[in-house]
Amino acid sequence: MREEIFRMERVTRIERGMVRLEDFNLQVYKGEIMGLLPVNAHGMTAFLNLLQTNLPIRDGYVYYGGGLVNSWKESGREANRISIIQAQSCLVEQMTVTDNIFVLRQGFRQRMIRPGILQSQLEPFLRDIGIDLAADCRVEKLSVFERVVVELLKAVILGYRLIVLNEISTLISSRELCKLHHIMRHYAKRGFSFLYVSPHFEELVQLCGRVAMFSHGRIQKVLRGAEMDEECLRGYVEEYDSMVRAHLESCGAESEKGAPVLTVDGLTCGSLNRLNLNFYAGECVVIQNMDNEVYKDLTGLLTGALRAETGCFRMEGNPVEISGNRNAAVILEQPTRTMLFPRMSYMDNLCMGLSWRMPGVWNSFRIQKSIRKEYGKLLGEDVFDMQLEELDEKQKYQLVYMRVLLQKPRIVFCIQPFKGADMSHRMLVWKLLEMMLNKKIAVVILALNLADAISLAERLVRIGSDGSMEEITRDHFGSLSGDAPWRYLYREKSVKTADGNVFP
Amino acid sequence: MREEYRLKYICNRVLLLAAAVFLLLLLQAAAWLLRFLQGGTGLWQGLIHGAAAGLYGAVYWFWIIVPYRKGEKWISHFLDGYGIPDSREADSFLLTPYMKRQIEMAEKVLKAPGAMDFNKRQAQYLALQNQINPHFLYNTLESIRGEALLAGLNSVADMTEALAKFFRYTITKVENLVSVEEELDNCETYFRIQKYRFGDRLRLHVECDEEDREDIMNCRIPKLTLQPIMENSIIHGTELKVGTGNLKLQFERTDSRLIIRLSDDGVGMDEHTLARLNRKLAGEAQTASYQEDGRQGGIALVNVNNRIHLIFGEEYGLHVYSVPQKGTDVEISVPVVASERQLPNRGILS
Repeated sequence: MREEIFRMERVTRIERGMVRLEDFNLQVYKGEIMGLLPVNAHGMTAFLNLLQTNLPIRDGYVYYGGGLVNSWKESGREANRISIIQAQSCLVEQMTVTDNIFVLRQGFRQRMIRPGILQSQLEPFLRDIGIDLAADCRVEKLSVFERVVVELLKAVILGYRLIVLNEISTLISSRELCKLHHIMRHYAKRGFSFLYVSPHFEELVQLCGRVAMFSHGRIQKVLRGAEMDEECLRGYVEEYDSMVRAHLESCGAESEKGAPVLTVDGLTCGSLNRLNLNFYAGECVVIQNMDNEVYKDLTGLLTGALRAETGCFRMEGNPVEISGNRNAAVILEQPTRTMLFPRMSYMDNLCMGLSWRMPGVWNSFRIQKSIRKEYGKLLGEDVFDMQLEELDEKQKYQLVYMRVLLQKPRIVFCIQPFKGADMSHRMLVWKLLEMMLNKKIAVVILALNLADAISLAERLVRIGSDGSMEEITRDHFGSLSGDAPWRYLYREKSVKTADGNVFP
Repeated sequence: MREEYRLKYICNRVLLLAAAVFLLLLLQAAAWLLRFLQGGTGLWQGLIHGAAAGLYGAVYWFWIIVPYRKGEKWISHFLDGYGIPDSREADSFLLTPYMKRQIEMAEKVLKAPGAMDFNKRQAQYLALQNQINPHFLYNTLESIRGEALLAGLNSVADMTEALAKFFRYTITKVENLVSVEEELDNCETYFRIQKYRFGDRLRLHVECDEEDREDIMNCRIPKLTLQPIMENSIIHGTELKVGTGNLKLQFERTDSRLIIRLSDDGVGMDEHTLARLNRKLAGEAQTASYQEDGRQGGIALVNVNNRIHLIFGEEYGLHVYSVPQKGTDVEISVPVVASERQLPNRGILS
């Protein structure tokens, strides 16, 4: 007999007049790792909030640990003992690991805190999962992976029976992700339940027993057993699949690349050690960081937060900075939140990158009119008169990428462009990146996991924690590890190429 | 001013008067305290008035406003079509004795036994419809004839037996609870009949947790719960599909619930249709079942769902999951009941 840990029965939640969850049904069993695939993320935040706190609901019932905790009749607004691990940490950075786990909890009554005792209490848990971590280390000194493990341990030690992990693969490297999956399986065997939210079915298939497809605030379908076959799951992303397939088929044989648009010349900074790379026009390169530190250093260099110890970026042989360079653009993580200026109009946001080419753009009604005419077909006529907060997520993504296109850079660096995007938005970002490549702009994607980026890439550059670099060309993508997304397409491609048809 | 805040409603007038009394007490307290601060007497009067205002506010909040809001929520839930709440829950927020009678009357009309009769009649009607549905009979008899011509008498006998068994089960005592085993048996009989029509184009797989199999098979569920859903899956799902259609019946037991899932790999439905159907199943079912045209899809599901709501309560029922071109799952959730005597409102079955 299976034991239900958590159940939502026909839950409808309305926030500010908008239906966030509608007839939402979900159950998680004891000792289960259940996957949640956001096909469309509308309502996801409301769902996560509702997991943690018993907020008022319009209809339905919520059960946790066998008891009714929330219903349309009565919502106590009290917190559920459910832990959500995501990008935003719930730990206090200035306190130690043991303080976060043992001291900051309800029911801790000791007046004198004895770090030694607390550390010895934590020790068996760390040993149990094979993690080497200083228990007296302050949280701010921990790597992202260690922080995730500490949050997970905290949930386990406090006896939380359901632990939610939200898009963890965008925070930690593939190797760390493997370790985390191992830890999750270990605790699942001990009766802890997990809800693993990820937009990548390759990841979910390997880890989860069941996968619920989340769309527009509803569970569209729960996949289990034979339906969890990767081949079968691919059918649910048919549109995306055919889009990538078409892109790969249109990729011609490798032509003469010409001179590089940007050269990384012996760059050293933190964990980066004498990095040498060339980027060519119209080429997509994915830089996968096998370690979080490398990722931080590279991001810092691109945004101007860090300076290179030795070496530099070169354009046409001249040393350049990426930050503030009009010939290069950087699209930050989750750009719809980080790259838009809500107090400025849509047109001002759009034309920001154009002013260096056309200084009169701010005052010239004629230029603005022609931009409106040209881009109206692509973005829609109405958006130009809308306030920024009125835009939906799709329109915001379009705005950011169109701004970069208007700037006409020679190279664009995208930092985890698919992070936080649901299936529909991932497809949109993918199309926008393809548009840039078609305009002969070099696209460099910085990623922790390969995800969708690999489907556009011509080269994959892997940088290890020791600064070592490995370069893999598209022809060899088929031999990447089993969890690499889109690998099947490249395998198909290599088979077909060997047969001498379809792919040149 | 928004409609709900207008003074034409008695509740708003009561609230206004209460607020006025509260303010008056506060003002008096403030006046006494001011007099005291200016060097006069009045500290005790000020404190007493302040305390009276606090006490008055607290009593008014917990005794009047909180129950009143609960009542408002209860009524709006019903009016917005989210189902019929239990009248016993209304005891904590009754305005007048007449309101209590009014709620009881509404429940009497909408719930047992009239509504159950209506749903029973619908189930019987569907059963009769199956008998007289010319397509059903035509297809079945055609299959029998074809078999008779091609193969001989054994299969004809088998098919005729299946048909008779199915009709016998369908027509008698629709109001009863039956064991899952009996329902499954009837489903298999129905499937056997359909197999003659579809041949190898249709397959049925039954899955059940082995360790709970006996328990699950002995659980009681309303009669004709599974067959209408299976019929729905065949007609709206697999029949419209090119190639082989697979139906899967899964039985699962938790400590308090029995979950039966009927999945097909048919044409599925779009998100809008799915949302509308689940909305009907979640709350608007009661009204929908009176108004819907029987020819419209989903009436069988709504009917089964209504019977489950009426017998076991609104926490149980049907929920549909579907993806276009991938298939549909109908999930039935009922409490684990081993005997009709375990039902709190078993009178509804008589």
